[in-house]
Amino acid sequence: MIDQLKARLNLKAVLRNVELLPEIDDLSRELIKDWEISIRLSIWRDTNILLNFHNGRCTFLADTIEKGTVSLFFCSAAHLNNMMENNASPLPLSGFTRLGFLKTEFSKLTSRLEYFLKPPSDVVQDDRHKMINLSLALSTAVFAIPELLQLDPVSRRIAPQLSAGTLQLSVLPEGPYAYVIYDGKGGAKAFTGKAARPEALLTFRNPEIAQLLVDGTLDSFGAVAKGDIQLRGKIPLIDHTNVILDQIPKYLQ
Amino acid sequence: MNIYRYEESNKWFDRAVKVIPCGVYGHFSPAPYAPVEAYPFFSNKADAARFWDVDGNEFIDYMCAYGPMVLGYNHPAVEAAFQEQHSLSDANSVASPRMVELAELLCDLVPVAEWAFFARNGADVTNLAVMVARAATGRDKVIAIKGGYHGTSPWMQAPGHHGTIADDHQHVIRIPWNDLNALDQVLAEHGSQVAAFMASPYHHPIFEDNVLPAEGYWQAAIDKLHKNGSVVIVDDVRAGFRLHLGGSNEHYGFKPDMIAFSKAIANGYALSALVGTDALRLDAAKVFHTGSFWYCAGSFAAAIACLTTLKAEKGPERMRVLGEKLTSGLRDVAAGHGYTLVVSGEPAMPYLRLADDDTLMLQQAWCGECTRRGAFFTSHHNWFLSTAHTDGDIEKTLQIADDAFKVIKSEFGH
Repeated sequence: MIDQLKARLNLKAVLRNVELLPEIDDLSRELIKDWEISIRLSIWRDTNILLNFHNGRCTFLADTIEKGTVSLFFCSAAHLNNMMENNASPLPLSGFTRLGFLKTEFSKLTSRLEYFLKPPSDVVQDDRHKMINLSLALSTAVFAIPELLQLDPVSRRIAPQLSAGTLQLSVLPEGPYAYVIYDGKGGAKAFTGKAARPEALLTFRNPEIAQLLVDGTLDSFGAVAKGDIQLRGKIPLIDHTNVILDQIPKYLQ
Repeated sequence: MNIYRYEESNKWFDRAVKVIPCGVYGHFSPAPYAPVEAYPFFSNKADAARFWDVDGNEFIDYMCAYGPMVLGYNHPAVEAAFQEQHSLSDANSVASPRMVELAELLCDLVPVAEWAFFARNGADVTNLAVMVARAATGRDKVIAIKGGYHGTSPWMQAPGHHGTIADDHQHVIRIPWNDLNALDQVLAEHGSQVAAFMASPYHHPIFEDNVLPAEGYWQAAIDKLHKNGSVVIVDDVRAGFRLHLGGSNEHYGFKPDMIAFSKAIANGYALSALVGTDALRLDAAKVFHTGSFWYCAGSFAAAIACLTTLKAEKGPERMRVLGEKLTSGLRDVAAGHGYTLVVSGEPAMPYLRLADDDTLMLQQAWCGECTRRGAFFTSHHNWFLSTAHTDGDIEKTLQIADDAFKVIKSEFGH
């Protein structure tokens, strides 16, 4: 169960950021501008994702029947997790002629993603760097929620208590933004951007406050009292979501 | 109208958060107060139906300390009784005669009560009630209502929340309020294991409309549970002595096996009581449950004075009338601005919601604007009336509400 959830989080929350990264990072955008390739990663008897690079953009699909130009297969969730930790290689099913591309060009993009998600301690982050880091962290967090609700024991106990509704997460003054739509049946869908009509708002006064929360170094109740974090609307949605988000470090370091 | 600011409150919060987890925790924490800047966090003065925050802002208090204040802060009879007992003996090495007198008073006031057991907080006695039921039945499971609140012991908390484990909820089965079919189903599946059913006399969750018991619900539930050999416990911690001095079950016309009281029992002094029928007396005697401060006599004296005064002043009736006046007035004020204010629950403990916005944001804004003008309203929890509220307080509150509606109408439109 742990391996399965970890693998789903790696695919659907972490690697999903490959779609977002070129939109917010110039170097990544430059890297993919001429790519015409789709890469499918699938785990035997479990889930799959497809990263489709076309016209300088990346689109992400999950649990799709679409085939990729390159198809990479993992025997198990543990196999995929080992690859994410650079301890294993996938089994190529198709696209053998593009394997070189994966090892050179695509790995540059994933390295760039890792650079932002796990910044080297000796790198001094400028504001732009911090904003990319925060955008990816927020995206990872919200896209983790649907997976956690399915497989994490604590989140599964929370799930029946979640009423239907949309929670908007916003960092002032200019983003990033993400939102989660709970279906009231224990499931959820996550998105980046602004929801049309959210029923609950979790708003950070500025990126610094949001980053402190992401880093786990913020007293969130104190921040609420000071107005650094603003809660509005259906606050139980926020309350339950916070418990779910607190489970992420059990699976992703 | 003066709009309050909270500089001193915020300074105290800055100090608090350095030395106290959350700064202000539990039901006083800032989390449900939206917008948080509309609310004070610290007060050191209260009298009658009002409190003053540390900035000197004066509030007509519709939370009544979340229920304990029922006769008004600093009520002279209660304060005199407490002070007299406190000066004689409060903490002691043996029990106080006041405890016996209070037990006798409860057995006189509350028809279900043939014995009384005292503690300090509501959860002390809801826990005790479950222990007594388990001792009496030799069974494990407790049926409770989804969204019902019985305190913060692990088994009472929402599953999955911090500090709880799955095993805490192993023997708690939650069913929807007013749903006899769900009760039937649980009894069919787990009947031989069900020690007790615990519920508040009416359903008063937070962030939702409150719901009264459907006609015949309680008696039908009691019949089913007694047929199954299970114990019926009413958690009257929140509503007790506001609806009826004999327990809220008397207001609705049914008789459980045990009733847990706290909040309003001693007008703000820390006390809770579990009362029950004679059939459970021996089981209650066998359960070991105690606490360092459970015998402090000042609270017993305060409770005797509080309950005696409530009876003499027909407190529940007065609070009902005041609550009806407040809520009907607020509905009219809202309608005058084109809004629909939904009132649910009981008039002495109303829950109000603006139906014009199902996200609660409009309601939160309105409650915040009222609070910044001196009517302390929360948007997530039922309010409380006391016998200390006056017609003048309500008139002023309606003026504040009117002003607040003007503000939110300009901000949110309609």
